[in-house]
Amino acid sequence: MAKLGVFDVSVRYGKVPALNDVSLHLNEGERMFISGPNGAGKSSLLRAISGAVATSHGRIEMDGTILTGRPPEAIARQGLSMVPEGREIFGSMTVEENLRVGTGIRRDRSAIESDIAEIYDAFPILGQRRNASAGALSGGQQQMLAIGRALMTNPKLMMVDEPSLGLAPNIVDQVYDTLVALQQERGLTLLIVEQSSARAARVGGRMVLLRGGAIVDQGDAREFAEKDLLKDAYFGGAKTEDA
Amino acid sequence: MSNQHQAARIRAWSTPIILALALLAFVVLTTALGDKSMARMAAQTLIRVTFVVGLWIFVGNSGVVSFGHAGFMAIGAYASAWLTLKPQTKALFLPDLWPWLAQAEWPVLPAAIAGGFLAATVALISGAAILRLSGIAASIATFAFLAIVNTIYSNWEGVTGATSSVVGLARYADQWVTLGWAVAAIFVAAFYANSASGLALRATREDEVAARASGVSMYRHRVLAMTISGFFTGVSGALLGHSLGVLNPGSFYLGITFITLAMLVVGGIGSLSGAVTGVVALSLLIEALVRMERGIEIGTTEFALPSGAQEILIGVVMILVLIIRPGGLTGGREFQLGRRRAEPKQQTATNRGVTT
Repeated sequence: MAKLGVFDVSVRYGKVPALNDVSLHLNEGERMFISGPNGAGKSSLLRAISGAVATSHGRIEMDGTILTGRPPEAIARQGLSMVPEGREIFGSMTVEENLRVGTGIRRDRSAIESDIAEIYDAFPILGQRRNASAGALSGGQQQMLAIGRALMTNPKLMMVDEPSLGLAPNIVDQVYDTLVALQQERGLTLLIVEQSSARAARVGGRMVLLRGGAIVDQGDAREFAEKDLLKDAYFGGAKTEDA
Repeated sequence: MSNQHQAARIRAWSTPIILALALLAFVVLTTALGDKSMARMAAQTLIRVTFVVGLWIFVGNSGVVSFGHAGFMAIGAYASAWLTLKPQTKALFLPDLWPWLAQAEWPVLPAAIAGGFLAATVALISGAAILRLSGIAASIATFAFLAIVNTIYSNWEGVTGATSSVVGLARYADQWVTLGWAVAAIFVAAFYANSASGLALRATREDEVAARASGVSMYRHRVLAMTISGFFTGVSGALLGHSLGVLNPGSFYLGITFITLAMLVVGGIGSLSGAVTGVVALSLLIEALVRMERGIEIGTTEFALPSGAQEILIGVVMILVLIIRPGGLTGGREFQLGRRRAEPKQQTATNRGVTT
């Protein structure tokens, strides 16, 4: 059974369509990248899966349970966590308070402290600044905090919306290294929005290309990277973002 | 690691202790130095502290401004009056009271608590109805709630005495009793703000989408905060009745709504310390202005502010504070022992936190 199944999902904002009959399937422990130009519907897809926007058509399932039509907090309880675009951390709260917000839904109270310690192990800088205001962290640190916060809900499937947005390339490397390590440790299934096919190819995984709210191509991330390189060679186009 | 965690806990709990000690000092000072009218002013201030701290439990944590809390205050005030007034008085002024209520002669403390519980119950029901709305719509709905309560209490002649005042309440709410309740409200507010629910609610204030994606049920936490908040604002109403000795629905309408919100904004809506600071600062200013309106002698010439100057000057102060310190006097910080958090983004965060 697929971990996540998206069947013919459409989303519209008023009369403006954002997604048209998108279908995709993720297997347990898999890593998938979603790519595409601005306005292609990448964030809309993630928001629809997490319940933040309503779908106008179609069905979304996780572990065979239907998610469509349920509120985001119920979907989070199901084990699906999202790291929103632009690192939406709670700026006036401390680092540790940010992490604890995600624990409200958990029953295993005793495991929370050890999980927080684990997050601080994975991101030592967060441990050092645990009592600092989250708004005072750098962009890269905020991205790590947003990922740490998502992990605190103990998810089985995690969606990350553009982790590389506005970060220096070496920080992006760190973020991906951590994501991959966490995935291996916890057996997470990952769905990541990533513009750069070169980046996705380096990390490895499947890739889906969205354009105009529909899937136009999919395959191994490496194939996409090669195609993009070829395109650059022929048309002399702008280099892929941070490759 | 746990040491650091413990230090953070101690810092968090130092806030209510500091606030309680400051209020104790305020009462001791006004009692020792002042006359009877100073003592009355202190009691009035502490009733407002109880109210505004109760209001803060909801508004400060949720970021939704409520215009309805004066309604809970009225509910608590009248409930305590029903329970404590002498049966003869009630037979005369409130003839339509239910028989058991007409005969009730409760001691004052249980009556105040009952007033709080009735207000909390109404807060739970009204909150459940309106708190699914988004920030600004919820605020307008709380205002509608206030209007409903006011209309009922202004017209239910045989039960509330309508617009003619209910008189003869035992005037037990002096500065010490009100201090006790203000401190209780402060500790409960601090406890709530540091609880899992308080944390979750503050997260929704910062960013609703991210909070809900973290599994936070915004609605449930809002209703819980509204209920606790309703309890203390209800108790503050009971105290107000038993401080003045007189009840009138007009005391629980627009005037108190706006002055208490002004206190919250002036002190700093983002923190419990701000709520308390705002009440004390504006109460002292009002007292000073009232005295100046009455006239003070400097040398041989008497100097008096024109009447009405008080309201105008309070408005000016509020505007000035909003311009100079948008986060309020405390800037959304808490008074705490030990090292302060670095909060360079506090102002934007506070502004973003308030939806109205």
